[in-house]
Amino acid sequence: MPEEKTIHIDPVTRLEGHGALTIKLGPGNKVKDVQFNIGSTRFFEQFLVGRPMEEVPRIAPRICGICPEPHHLASVKAVEAAWDVKPPPAAIKLRRLLIEAKQLSSHAIHFYALAAPDFVFGPFADPSVRNVVGVLKHLPDVAVQAIKLMEFGQELCRDIAAKAIHPATAIPGGMLNSLKEEERDKWLKAVPAMLDNIQKTVDLAKKVVNLYLDVIMKVAVTPTYYVGLSNKGVLDIYDGTIHVMDPSGKMVADFEPEEYTKYWGEYVSDHSYATHIYYKPAGYPAGVWRANTLARCNIADRMATPLADAALKEMRALIGRPSHHTFAYHYARIVEMVQAAESIKKLLEDPDIVSTDVKLSDVQPKAGEGVGVVEAPRGTCLHNYECDDQGIVTKANIIVATNHNIGGIEKSLMDAAKLIFEQDGLKKLKLPQPLVKT
Amino acid sequence: MAQGSSCWGCFQSLVDIHLKLADILPLLDIKYWQAVVDYKLKDLEGYPDKSIAVGFYEGMARTEEDIHLLKVMREKCQTLISFGSCSCFGGIPGMANFSDIEQCYDTKFRHNKTVNGGSVPSVNVPPITDVVRPNTDYTQFDVYLPGCPPTSKLILTAVTALLEGKPLELPPHTVCHYCNREKKETPISEIIRPYVGKADVKRCLLEQGYICMGPSTWGLCEGQCVNKGATCRGCFGPSPPIMKDHGAATISMLGTYAPIDPDKIVAQVKDPLGTFYRFDYATSHLGRIRIKHEEAKRRRK
Repeated sequence: MPEEKTIHIDPVTRLEGHGALTIKLGPGNKVKDVQFNIGSTRFFEQFLVGRPMEEVPRIAPRICGICPEPHHLASVKAVEAAWDVKPPPAAIKLRRLLIEAKQLSSHAIHFYALAAPDFVFGPFADPSVRNVVGVLKHLPDVAVQAIKLMEFGQELCRDIAAKAIHPATAIPGGMLNSLKEEERDKWLKAVPAMLDNIQKTVDLAKKVVNLYLDVIMKVAVTPTYYVGLSNKGVLDIYDGTIHVMDPSGKMVADFEPEEYTKYWGEYVSDHSYATHIYYKPAGYPAGVWRANTLARCNIADRMATPLADAALKEMRALIGRPSHHTFAYHYARIVEMVQAAESIKKLLEDPDIVSTDVKLSDVQPKAGEGVGVVEAPRGTCLHNYECDDQGIVTKANIIVATNHNIGGIEKSLMDAAKLIFEQDGLKKLKLPQPLVKT
Repeated sequence: MAQGSSCWGCFQSLVDIHLKLADILPLLDIKYWQAVVDYKLKDLEGYPDKSIAVGFYEGMARTEEDIHLLKVMREKCQTLISFGSCSCFGGIPGMANFSDIEQCYDTKFRHNKTVNGGSVPSVNVPPITDVVRPNTDYTQFDVYLPGCPPTSKLILTAVTALLEGKPLELPPHTVCHYCNREKKETPISEIIRPYVGKADVKRCLLEQGYICMGPSTWGLCEGQCVNKGATCRGCFGPSPPIMKDHGAATISMLGTYAPIDPDKIVAQVKDPLGTFYRFDYATSHLGRIRIKHEEAKRRRK
């Protein structure tokens, strides 16, 4: 047996984006190094320079086709901050409905299409079956409830923003399109069936959590810092201040978005085009943090809606706060999906949601700088632009959600690799019988 | 299905055929699709040539690996579909050609608000190309499905035609054909930016002075933006024949609509390159000149 071995997994499948893994093993299967290699970048920060600020919310969403709404909204918030513009309250409600609708569909596609096949068929089932097509064939009812949740979220985005993928209607000063009464009525009518599918999703998730509890509690339990928005202690994906929690669960920072450069470091690794964002006061790699569902649930004192808050309490009773269990990201995703569903209902029931007073008519560009932040499904999404007095971009800095997690992914991968290669831990794990045998 | 450098929006648009997925996906024998199935690049490379009936290629060629994947897909697939505007025209990331690659590296890795003094990554990552060449420079496609992204309806139409073995016939109209707004054939007296005022919801946006690329853009979108208050930014590329200069067509169209003094129009249109060539700079005549210029510069170095 050779003394050194490199395992290269290319591509990493069932994630969105370009990734490969490199694991280097030394004598006695000692894990020497792990790398998460992101193999492409497109230079948005460069080609946004020279564009008119109001066009950027229509260009920047192309960073991510799965979560374009957070980019659209972080971008327009950055422009409004730079130009000192405050959109009408009804426009903010419409934007909130837009981002919640996206949260619902993104969490549904992640849970059902990306994650669920491993749990439903078991992690060692053949790849030809262990995928969403397999779910369609073997569990058509589950697949249909997944598709209906995604459809609800995506089509609601479309009614608000013209397109679900690469939304077009947020503009400095508000929204170019209001929600029509007949559209609102149609969605309100669809809410009970959507909530029913959410309940079925929660039931399925709890079943999976119980079956795989040993995996959740033992594989890739990785203490890190956590970063996320919170609005006075409540989990809020559209607005709030940026919080940082340390690995012991202590809140070490709470600041306005425009102060981010004091707290956010960006590490350029030699083996990934995606940079690693970390807690700057602690340095790199000590300050590696994670964002995304579990980070937000660690940071928030409570959820914004009653069923979601009950679900958060139930999760905390099982895995604690802070939870460092990487597999619990799926659980936290379900907690957040409940909040998205309840928030959508509440916003649709608000009479302002069909207000036509959604756009200012006296917006003026001015030279300045603005920061806009929202929570994307996979973490804190920040856009920062500087512009001249004509409102033309002169500098852009964008921190996308995923980059908060790269350092954390490498850390958790190291923990998982040690468990598997050094401790032969896979054999000791209690794995359940697959829900569907193939 | 393979992805070069892209946002995965075309993939999401395919997923957004919703319940039709339940009819279509089980009919497919998926050989490679990294978002869905655990097959690796080595699996794809190992299949016999032309053993895959249909391949979709999303994204543009930003790295050597993208170019390799594109060529492998061409070898393995009988029919190869250029899926989305990045794949057809270079797309929004093609705007990186506005700058020298070293400027791109500076902004991304060396000097910006949160990075300082980094170097371009080089370990276990594929080299980045110095300039974005359109995918058509590397391979030939059998079908073009533009759009950022192509609509779910368009994807469903294409997939259904392929499954039934029928030719794919797409209507040639521009976006204006699908726009519900009234045109009065009145000339524009002034170009205004989209945040200005409140647009009349019943009138043509262009005639109100907002730049709208509807008249020069392929209407496979069926007017989704213009019918919801937003101007067209040309994301489906030029109407057929699609490999023409979209920006030049838009500028000449604007000349007809806006009989304004050329100096004034230059002052009022803030960003002609990033507006008229947003999605198809790499395949445009103007963009071609830039590609040649950048490559000549590299050779000199």
